[in-house]
Amino acid sequence: MDRLIELLKEIRPDVDYDSCTTLIDDEILDSFAILSIVGELEEEYGVVVTPADIIPENFNSAQALWGMVQRLQAEA
Amino acid sequence: MSLISMEFLIFVFAAVLGYYLIPKRFQWIWLLIFSYIYYASSGAVYILFILYTTLVTYGTGLALNVMENQSGREKKAVKKSKRGILVLALVLDFGMLAVLKYTNFAISNFNMLFHAGIPFRNFLLPLGISFYTFQSVGYVMDVYWRRCEPEKNLFRFALFVSFFPQILQGPIGRYQRLAHQLYEEHSFDFTRIERGLQLVIWGYFKKLVVAETAAIFVAAAFDEYQTYPGIAIFGVLAYTAQLYGDFSGGMDVVIGIASLFGIELDENFKRPFFAVSITDFWHRWHITLGTWMKDYVFYPLSLSRVMNRFGKLCKRVLGRAYGRVVPICLSNIVVFFVVGIWHGAAWKFIVYGLYNGFIIAFSGLMAQNYRKWMKNCHIDGKSKGWKIFQIARTFLLVNISWFFDRADTVPQALSMMKNAVTCFHPEDLLKVHVGTAGTVYTVLALGILAAGCGVIFIVSFLQENGMKIRAMIAAKPWLVRWAVYLILLFSIPMLGQPPDSTGGFIYAQF
Repeated sequence: MDRLIELLKEIRPDVDYDSCTTLIDDEILDSFAILSIVGELEEEYGVVVTPADIIPENFNSAQALWGMVQRLQAEA
Repeated sequence: MSLISMEFLIFVFAAVLGYYLIPKRFQWIWLLIFSYIYYASSGAVYILFILYTTLVTYGTGLALNVMENQSGREKKAVKKSKRGILVLALVLDFGMLAVLKYTNFAISNFNMLFHAGIPFRNFLLPLGISFYTFQSVGYVMDVYWRRCEPEKNLFRFALFVSFFPQILQGPIGRYQRLAHQLYEEHSFDFTRIERGLQLVIWGYFKKLVVAETAAIFVAAAFDEYQTYPGIAIFGVLAYTAQLYGDFSGGMDVVIGIASLFGIELDENFKRPFFAVSITDFWHRWHITLGTWMKDYVFYPLSLSRVMNRFGKLCKRVLGRAYGRVVPICLSNIVVFFVVGIWHGAAWKFIVYGLYNGFIIAFSGLMAQNYRKWMKNCHIDGKSKGWKIFQIARTFLLVNISWFFDRADTVPQALSMMKNAVTCFHPEDLLKVHVGTAGTVYTVLALGILAAGCGVIFIVSFLQENGMKIRAMIAAKPWLVRWAVYLILLFSIPMLGQPPDSTGGFIYAQF
């Protein structure tokens, strides 16, 4: 999880990933940031994120992102 | 049947009256009947086209479901079958749109390139075909991705595709948010009806008072740009007022009418001229098209195998930071190419789309540098002054794009842009004819346009600062409330222009 936050900070250093749970709902992350995050997740954790996975529930917080990574790793 | 006609108002009145008088379980059937009557009123033959899209999409949903629930098949084989069905549905749905809308564009380019003399085809272009095709394809993709269950009842599905208030110019609905509302039972709610009517009146005000008045000056500046080169800059500003009044006004009418049936459609506008960047502008202007493109074109393209490989190559060549962003920029340019051609089959629309795409791509590419430069220059990104600068910059960039959107050709757009900065004769505005009375009413029309824009600006400014205008008016005593409604209502026939001056809504032609 710490490594994930580190990766997220690389993309958007100005966001507080520890507490924010509305990254998509409050339009904090735009589509550029979302796709940059996907690229990092795929490289770091060896998962394949599909368009079907890009929903607010998976991207609203660092915790949700971590949950998605774990699920995709289990499904692989 | 135009949204601006007495027949349409009578039609809506009859639809609403019957909707609340019949047993609630038949309400969705009532809506389906009225939706098909409405669509047939624009030409009975159009029904064939919407039926085609409905049947293709409905069948695809069921077929995808059958594939998904097949037991004993390997996951990979199921995925392959599903993809095959999806591709077939996309070819059938978009194929129809492409043939009807883009055949003559393809012929004209072919003729120009190869000096061929292929004659143009006289295809019918059903009203609203772009909107209901996109809405239907969105449903297919959502079923494919298992974001929603397919609709089993063909008639219920037919209502989702054809719901009459939105069929001509959107908003492009999403199955998960819209469908259940269409099928649910709704009770009469006076407050909701009143709020819906408020929105309808406001929409007609924007369309008939602002957009139609602006259209007079837009026509002079663009259609007679060689006669009036000195009003190019006013022409494009008037086009901003016309397009916003026309499209957002139309949306207010549509959303207001839908709410009379208890159905809440997605918002299509969120005060676009307060946007701080072109990206932000597209988050506020024609929102449902933007989100459709993002979900069904931008993400699938960006996450495709080809883009993945390209991304890896970029990271090797350009380094981690730029390599990450370049493929996203490229996908974005492709998306805005599609947005451009969606607006019409002409090169000027492609230029319009690419103009937006390149600006957004460049901003994305430079985002990290901007942050660094702002820090080095001690610019507070949250200060009011900076925000006003960003809004003004975006407004300028958007207005430049309108030249391509409204001019007949790209050379005309470029010529008018040149005129906008080199030739300034505001007095020529007074030579523009209004109606059949020559220039008698020109000053009055300019005054009405300025006042109308002022009213829209004040309302937008208050909303942008968190004020809920409709709720505020609704909370006032009935005398004040109805005074506001009546002033607005009577201003429409007194100050507005007849709708036939521009021939209905601009986006209904898409």
